[in-house]
Amino acid sequence: MSTKTFRCQVLVGGNASGEALFCRQAFAFDRAVDPGTGVVADSRSGMAGANVRGKVLFYLRGKGSTAGSSWLVEAIRLGNGPGAIVTEHVDLAAVVGSSLAGILYGKAIPVLSGIDVRVFGKAKAKARSVASVDGDAARVVLTG
Amino acid sequence: MHLNSVHETLFRGEGGDARQLAMQILAKVGDAVGAESLVPIKSAHVQADYSGLHDSGIALFERFAASDGKFGVPTTVNPASIDLDGWESFGVPAEFARKQIRLCQAYYRLGGIRCWTCVPYQVCNFPKADETVAWAESSSVVFANSVIGCRTNKAMAGLDVASAILGLTPKFGMLLDEERVAGVAFVAPPGRFSDLDYSSLGYLIGKSAGSRVPALDRTPKGVTSDDLKHLGAAAASAGPIAMIHYVGVTTGSSSLEKAAGGEEIETVDVSRSDLETVEGELNQTEETPDLVALGAPHLSVSELGSLARLLEGRKVKRGIKLYAYTSHQAYEMAARAGIQADIEAAGGTLSQGTDADVCPLKAMGFHVVLTNSALLAETLAAGGTVKVRYSSLRDIIGEVSA
Repeated sequence: MSTKTFRCQVLVGGNASGEALFCRQAFAFDRAVDPGTGVVADSRSGMAGANVRGKVLFYLRGKGSTAGSSWLVEAIRLGNGPGAIVTEHVDLAAVVGSSLAGILYGKAIPVLSGIDVRVFGKAKAKARSVASVDGDAARVVLTG
Repeated sequence: MHLNSVHETLFRGEGGDARQLAMQILAKVGDAVGAESLVPIKSAHVQADYSGLHDSGIALFERFAASDGKFGVPTTVNPASIDLDGWESFGVPAEFARKQIRLCQAYYRLGGIRCWTCVPYQVCNFPKADETVAWAESSSVVFANSVIGCRTNKAMAGLDVASAILGLTPKFGMLLDEERVAGVAFVAPPGRFSDLDYSSLGYLIGKSAGSRVPALDRTPKGVTSDDLKHLGAAAASAGPIAMIHYVGVTTGSSSLEKAAGGEEIETVDVSRSDLETVEGELNQTEETPDLVALGAPHLSVSELGSLARLLEGRKVKRGIKLYAYTSHQAYEMAARAGIQADIEAAGGTLSQGTDADVCPLKAMGFHVVLTNSALLAETLAAGGTVKVRYSSLRDIIGEVSA
């Protein structure tokens, strides 16, 4: 068991912890996550079949349609969204999706960026890591 | 983010519920991304498609409409998830259509222009260079920043409609000079470019640029605005791209040095085999298609004319539908020019105001989609409910018609 702490930039605040789920590429919720179940459909994401519900979801950056935010809102509204999102570069879809989920449903999730990219290199070896996101301290702690 | 005294009164609800909700959204997003202030916009382009917005999107639109919200600037809208003029004939489930129609009604109550297209800049929303706008639709965003020379971020669903209501948007990202500087350059390979080459090149740029603003050097001679439409769409589908400096085309980017703000930046030489690699990546199957989907983003009237000429004297094979997706305006012009009749005589169908990337293709009975759009191939691959094939228009017509 090892513990590693990463400093991040807090975009949407809050605290959450859960199993870490890693995507080492650009990612969008649009079509790739079924809001009704939380299951990842995109076979190219390296997470196909996994469920984002309650997980701390790590991905490199955003991509694609401006609908990414509304797919995230719908997943959160239905209780199937991730517990937190951590990216290397700011993903506007995650920021807007979480902000809307907060304003409309009182369900904002923490969104952080600027994670040290080395975390993605270790993703395979530490597939069962647990991540704790601390928005107040602007850090993510990975244990596993 | 700083709110001035007028913004503060709206935030407190003194301008009504709709503007209060919109201001809450802008303030929250602006704070998150570190925007300094709100700035006025000249127009908005929003999404109101049910496949992207879902029930929570209907709730948001209806909440704005029920509280007497009105768009504060001219506002256009992306394609609906159904052909509004004939969804029954396209096999769309009625329950799904009803949800889309609720979104349409809320959008109309807000005062939106009835222009359901992903190419507003070709038919109904004409910013000039240096204007600030708030546009949804990632392909339109790239076109706006790169070809028109106006300024917009990717106005994500929710941020788009809130910006439209207030006529304001947070100032960050692509609205700032320093964020628009190219950070990586791609050099196009020499030679003629097919429709597929433009799409594949865009996809490669979107996938490889990371979070840097890309430049494209040696943009093929003879490139048309339609080509740039498809190139930008493909790039935006594969990465967080909001702008591409087309050297020699983009305002202020007459040279690579200017695009990069005088800095030395990484340069990537793109080869023909790189484009073939993209083709291989986007091609998921060799199966016979049951749908040929053309026009993601929407075809212009001149592209519809080219399609009609390619189909001349040919007939689409049995068991295959060929849908050409376009705007209401281009549809109308194509009808007047006899282009629609020519395409339909060959067995093709024009579909207006909707697009393949926002239609419920699986529920409409399709399994294998053949397209020349990297954006569509990427979008369908993400969902995995239908298989995708990716090929040039010439090859597609050769295969599916005789």
